[in-house]
Amino acid sequence: MPGAYSQFLTLAETAAETGALFNIKNCLLVATLLFIIGAFGVISRRNILIMLISIELMLNAVNLVFASFARAHVHMAAQTGNPNAGESGQIFALFVIAIAAAEAAVGLAIVITYFRNRETVDTRDMRMLSK
Amino acid sequence: MSASDLVFAICAVVCVLSAILIVSQKNPVYSVVFMLPFFLGMTVIFVLLQATFLAAIQMIVYGGAILVVFLFVIMLINLKPEELRDDFSTYGFLAAIVGILLLGLGIGWLAGSGATPMMEHEFAARTADVGAAAVSGEAKIVFGSAESLAGPLFRQHIVPFELASILIVVAMLGAVLLSKRKL
Repeated sequence: MPGAYSQFLTLAETAAETGALFNIKNCLLVATLLFIIGAFGVISRRNILIMLISIELMLNAVNLVFASFARAHVHMAAQTGNPNAGESGQIFALFVIAIAAAEAAVGLAIVITYFRNRETVDTRDMRMLSK
Repeated sequence: MSASDLVFAICAVVCVLSAILIVSQKNPVYSVVFMLPFFLGMTVIFVLLQATFLAAIQMIVYGGAILVVFLFVIMLINLKPEELRDDFSTYGFLAAIVGILLLGLGIGWLAGSGATPMMEHEFAARTADVGAAAVSGEAKIVFGSAESLAGPLFRQHIVPFELASILIVVAMLGAVLLSKRKL
């Protein structure tokens, strides 16, 4: 795909123009990569523990996006007149962390219960909900 | 190349590599072990993004709680090595295609979105002369600190905050109920 390649070159050029390697675009790029690796884990692995860990990975990538945009929108405070408007992204990330903790607890409880009944963590063997 | 560039590059490489290792390990114990460098790298990137309170919470909740819970569960269910067969499913190929398409979409969107500078000017206006303000007695709140998050968290976002507390109580009760043998 020549279009995608030239677009990638443009991305590299803008990163070079701004001078710094540490900019919002590169943060978003890292977050995209982490989200894709997590999604790949959820789709392709059959061990339910690693699937849960991959979900945590994806949630972390989303947190990185929230933090990046919070950093990029510091100026929102001046525009909206609300002195803490720029921090909204970080607060959403806090909520994501809270949800992730709850999700991990419930998911692992289900894994323990299932393993006690069926002696497996492989989703290929998970075909019935009841005993 | 400034210091923050170098730190960001190292952390990004560490995060992506440990993420790949997490997904590709056969034994879930190794996956959990590779979660530690992943969370450490993410924490350092949060610090670079001036989300210091978020970085602390990330380290406490992910590195302290979630990682240990995962490790406990893996030890508790005591998997035998012969149960850990090579488990990349036939959907792996499909997953790779979907991932590459998503990556192309992301890169294309980023490339087309125009320059996104770090807003250094406004950022400097909010973080500069904190020390001078402290001397003059006029408090200036640093971006991303616990103080700066407390205001909007307990004013604009109070309802979701309380809902999150209810959610965590429900999740805790649910986990106990689910994993208890007999009530």
